[in-house]
Amino acid sequence: MPFIMVKHINKTFKVPIKASGIIGTIKSFFNRKYKYIKAINDISFSIKKGEIVGYIGPNGAGKSTTIKILSGILVPDSGEVKIDRLIPYKDRKKYVQEIGVVFGQRSQLWWDIPAIDSFNLLKEIYKIPDNEYQKTKDELIELLNLKDILNIPVRQLSLGNRMKCEIAASLLHKPKILFLDEPTIGLDAVSKKIVREFIKKINKQNNVTVILTTHDMADIEALAKRIILIGKGQILYDGSLSKLKKQYDYLRKITVITKDKVHLQKPYIVEEKTFEEGIEFVIDIRKIEINEFIKLISSKMSIIDIDVDSGNIDELIVKLYEDFKI
Amino acid sequence: MSLYFKYFKVHLKSELEYKTSFILSFIAQLFTLFSYYFTIICLFNQFSNIKGFTMYDVLLTFGIIQFGFAFCETFFRGIDKFDTLIIEGNFDRLLLRPRNILFQLFCDKLSLIKASKVIETIIVLIIAILNIEVNWNGYRIMTLIFMLFSAIIIFLAILIASASYCFLTIKGLEVRNVLTDGCKDMAQYPIGIFKKGFINFFTFIVPMGLVNYYPFLFLLGKSNNKLLCFCPLLTILYLIPAIWLFYRGLKRYSSIGS
Repeated sequence: MPFIMVKHINKTFKVPIKASGIIGTIKSFFNRKYKYIKAINDISFSIKKGEIVGYIGPNGAGKSTTIKILSGILVPDSGEVKIDRLIPYKDRKKYVQEIGVVFGQRSQLWWDIPAIDSFNLLKEIYKIPDNEYQKTKDELIELLNLKDILNIPVRQLSLGNRMKCEIAASLLHKPKILFLDEPTIGLDAVSKKIVREFIKKINKQNNVTVILTTHDMADIEALAKRIILIGKGQILYDGSLSKLKKQYDYLRKITVITKDKVHLQKPYIVEEKTFEEGIEFVIDIRKIEINEFIKLISSKMSIIDIDVDSGNIDELIVKLYEDFKI
Repeated sequence: MSLYFKYFKVHLKSELEYKTSFILSFIAQLFTLFSYYFTIICLFNQFSNIKGFTMYDVLLTFGIIQFGFAFCETFFRGIDKFDTLIIEGNFDRLLLRPRNILFQLFCDKLSLIKASKVIETIIVLIIAILNIEVNWNGYRIMTLIFMLFSAIIIFLAILIASASYCFLTIKGLEVRNVLTDGCKDMAQYPIGIFKKGFINFFTFIVPMGLVNYYPFLFLLGKSNNKLLCFCPLLTILYLIPAIWLFYRGLKRYSSIGS
């Protein structure tokens, strides 16, 4: 049996319909209408121990709802979830002992006190033995370089430092699974890198299974070999990132700086734009290899400069969303 | 229990982060409550007794009810403020920790400012006990302790029951204040001074009468039925449906967005 097994889960929310304006507000106060939103529609997947899975999708796709079901906060309307032989929403107390959860937009730490005090309280909540706690804590302080920030009240920390403390807090009890809901949201480049590297490290060292949701495709590229794409509550793609790239990332933008005015018009050229300094081609690399194409244009014109744009993963995702109409 | 004290230390540290605010609020709370007592003293300056209850009788029942309420407000603030916990989405955090949900709620917030009310009511209670005309004996002391205990239990039950309602409405209901503040304000007088309907309401629907009326009759010697001494303990039964409601509500919990 897989480590994490999700079978045909559904979740519908009842949301009041609010009319706009004062009159509308008053009207809906007396006669409230509801609509039912299917946040999750028949989702199934399984995850092996030690995997890192990127869970992506546009806003409102059902990412957070899935994470909440997997972490035992919400109960699905139907379907089955089994993680390490436990049902998250039934064996809550036993189950949450095995997981760590970081919500990028919500703090787990006590706001007005230094992080170290929060850590000490978490030790009691999770009943972590003294020596084990000491060891894990020292390790985390070392790995995330927390020494100088642990004694400052959390509210005074920068977002990057706070996130480091949040992640450390979620790992004190040595969870087998780590859920990260937008862990790099709002962080600067340096902090993002630290967080990513740290996640990679603990995944390798402790064989922690990591499930992360994010809108930052660089997170996915750096961390997850496997992605699950969800839109409108349904799984649209489940597989490796490289395969997805092959399938969707076939356009390359090649900008050539040249004085020659040439028109090529070939079937593999999707777009051809002439401007003052040169020409911009968008080619389909499924039909022609890049070096073939460069050979061709260098025989047709004298090239001053050339730039190959290797396809941004964000654009890939936009294309994907368009394809699936989400 | 030791975990509760660990939480307590954290909250204490948090509140003391804002020293001036803490001290000023603490004093402000003292004055608010004092104005209540002042009214009673003024009242009894004009009338020596109300339906046979003297000023110290009223101060005692008043103190007992206030004590129960202030105790819950101070030490179980989390359940009192349950609606904000849900609205701000912080309830999810509690669900992620391997401890009993209700217990975590008790620990989640602590209002040391309200502790000033607890201290004040204890002072009033001492004054009332020293001046009241009671032939103290073992039974009567036990009755008093039971009364104080049940005052805590009854407000705890009301708070838990109204917290369960937040699962359905998200925002807390004003109805809750009818039950907490309303009952508190009514029941701080010996309910014998009210009409029959009120007495029934406070006996059977919100059993405040069990806290500070029936045992009080025994305490004052107005009744010799020793069973009345134990009737405050019946309030514990009131906790059962409250807790049941809470866990039923929990099943319907639907969290908030993102």
